[in-house]
Amino acid sequence: MDITPEKSIWYFFVKGDLNAFSALFKGYYSVLYDYGLKISGNVALTEDCLQDFFIYLYDNKQNFGEVNNIRSYLFVSFRRAVFKKLKKERVFLDYDEAIENRAKFDFSPEEIAIKQELTTMKRTVLTELLNSLSVREKETVFLRYYSGLTPNQISTVMGISYQSVLNTLQKAFVKLRKASESEAIFSILNA
Amino acid sequence: MKEDLKPLLDNLLNDSSFRNWATKSNKNDMAFWNSWINKNPRDIETIYAVKDIILGISFKKKTIEEERVNEKLGMVLKHINGKTGAENQIVKKNIGWSVKGIAAIAVIGLAFLVLTLGVFNTSDVMVHKTAFGETMSLTLPDGTSVVLNGNSEIRYDKDTPRDVVLKGEAYFKVKPKHTTDAKFWVNTQDLRVEVYGTQFHVNTRDEKTKVLLDEGSIKLLLNNGASKKMEPGELVSYSDGNDTVLHEKVDTTLKYALWREGTFTFNNINLKEMMKYIEHTYGLPSEFLDKSAETKILTGGIPSGNLEICLMAVQKATGTRIVQKDNTLLIFNK
Repeated sequence: MDITPEKSIWYFFVKGDLNAFSALFKGYYSVLYDYGLKISGNVALTEDCLQDFFIYLYDNKQNFGEVNNIRSYLFVSFRRAVFKKLKKERVFLDYDEAIENRAKFDFSPEEIAIKQELTTMKRTVLTELLNSLSVREKETVFLRYYSGLTPNQISTVMGISYQSVLNTLQKAFVKLRKASESEAIFSILNA
Repeated sequence: MKEDLKPLLDNLLNDSSFRNWATKSNKNDMAFWNSWINKNPRDIETIYAVKDIILGISFKKKTIEEERVNEKLGMVLKHINGKTGAENQIVKKNIGWSVKGIAAIAVIGLAFLVLTLGVFNTSDVMVHKTAFGETMSLTLPDGTSVVLNGNSEIRYDKDTPRDVVLKGEAYFKVKPKHTTDAKFWVNTQDLRVEVYGTQFHVNTRDEKTKVLLDEGSIKLLLNNGASKKMEPGELVSYSDGNDTVLHEKVDTTLKYALWREGTFTFNNINLKEMMKYIEHTYGLPSEFLDKSAETKILTGGIPSGNLEICLMAVQKATGTRIVQKDNTLLIFNK
C-alpha cells in the first residue's frame, strides 16, 4: 500500500482545501522556479508563469482526479506552461524553434557544490565541461541531480523513454570522463 | 554486444548492493562487487558508466527564501479568494438575499485569509504546521516540549511563548517555572488550558476540544465562562458550539481514542470512530462495504506515524480487511 503524505495533500487539494493547496505551493514553488529559470533564462517570465500555473491548478482542481506521480505531473505541466509562454513572447517563432532558442540550460560555477563524489576537478572546469553538453543532456543532468527526479519521472517530464533517459545520462558522463581525462593530461603537460 | 549491455546497466542502476559499492558505503558489498568486476572485465565500461550515474554531479541549490515563497503564496491566495468572492456576488444577484449565508462564509474566509497573511507578514508570530500523516517534535523557547500530530498547527507570539494556540492535536510536556510560577496556556476554539508544569494531550477535531491529563494538574477555562480543575487520568471534552461538557475518569470502561507521544491509544471505541480518526490524521476517508464492521469495538494502542502498521493492527484486531482504492480506504469483513 503506497500512501505518501503527498498523496493525502493532493487528495485534499482536489477537494478544494486551501491548506493543502498552500502546502503544495510551498513544497514545489522553489524547485519549479529553478527549473523554469533554467528553461527560460528570464526571472520575470518564470515568476509570472509560476503564479499563473498555480492559479490554473487551483481553478482546475476538479479535473485532476488521481495523479499517479505528483512530482513528474507538476514538472511536466509546468514545463509545458513555460514553453507556451516563451512561444507567446516570441510570436514569430514556432514551438520547436522556441525550444531551440530557449536559454541553453547553462550552469554557473556557483551552482556546483565544492565537494564532488565523482571528480576532483575544479568547479570552473566542471562547469565548462557541463556546459559543453547538448541541451538535452544538460536538462537530463539538471532534472536528475538538481531537481532530484528519478529516471522514470524524467522520462515523463521530457517525453522520452526510460531507456533514452539512461542513454542520455550515460552519454553525458562518457563525454565528461573523456574531457576530464584529456584535461588531466593537459594540466600535467603544462605543469 | 551493445544490446547486451543495456539491461546490465539498468539492472546495476537499480541494485542497492551495487549502489553501496559505488558510494563505498558497505564493506561486504564492496568486496562482492570488486571480485565480480575481476570476473567480468568485459563489462568494465558499463560498470563505470553506472557508477558515474549514481554518483552524479552535486549541485548547490539556490532555493528561494521562505519569505519570498510565502509572499508569492499570499498573492495567489488573494487572487483565488477574490475570484470566489466575485462568483458569490453573481449568485447573489440571481437568487437575491437567500445567499446571505454564502456571503457570510466568504467574509469569514476572507477574514481567515487576512489573518493568515497577517501571520506571514509579522515575524513575531511563530507557526509550526504538520501535513497529513506527518508528526513533528518541537521544543518551545521556554523548554516545553510539544509533539504535533498530523494535520495540526501550533502558533504563539515570540514575546509570549508560554501562551499558544492549537488547531488539531498535540501532546504537551510543560516545563515548570519554579522561580516565577509562570503559567503556560493552550488556547483552542473551545477553551483555554491553564498549566503550571505537567503532561497532557489536547485534541481540537470534530468541533470540540478534548483534554487528557497524564500528570500534574491543570485548569480549563471554558468559552462559556466556567472553569474546571482536572486531576491526572481525567478526560474532559467540551464543545463551544453546543455547550456540552463531559468530565470523566479514564478507566477500562470509558470510551476514548487519543493520540499521545506517537501512539494511538483507544478504549472501547468502534471501528467507525477509529477510521474517522485516521481520516483526520492521514487525510484518507473510509468507506464501509460491510456495514456490520462499523460497530466492531477496539481497545489498545498502536504506533502512529506509519499508516501501514496502523492499518495492519486495526485489521487484525477487528477481523476485517482494509484496502486502499483511489485515496479511500475500503473496509469489509474477512
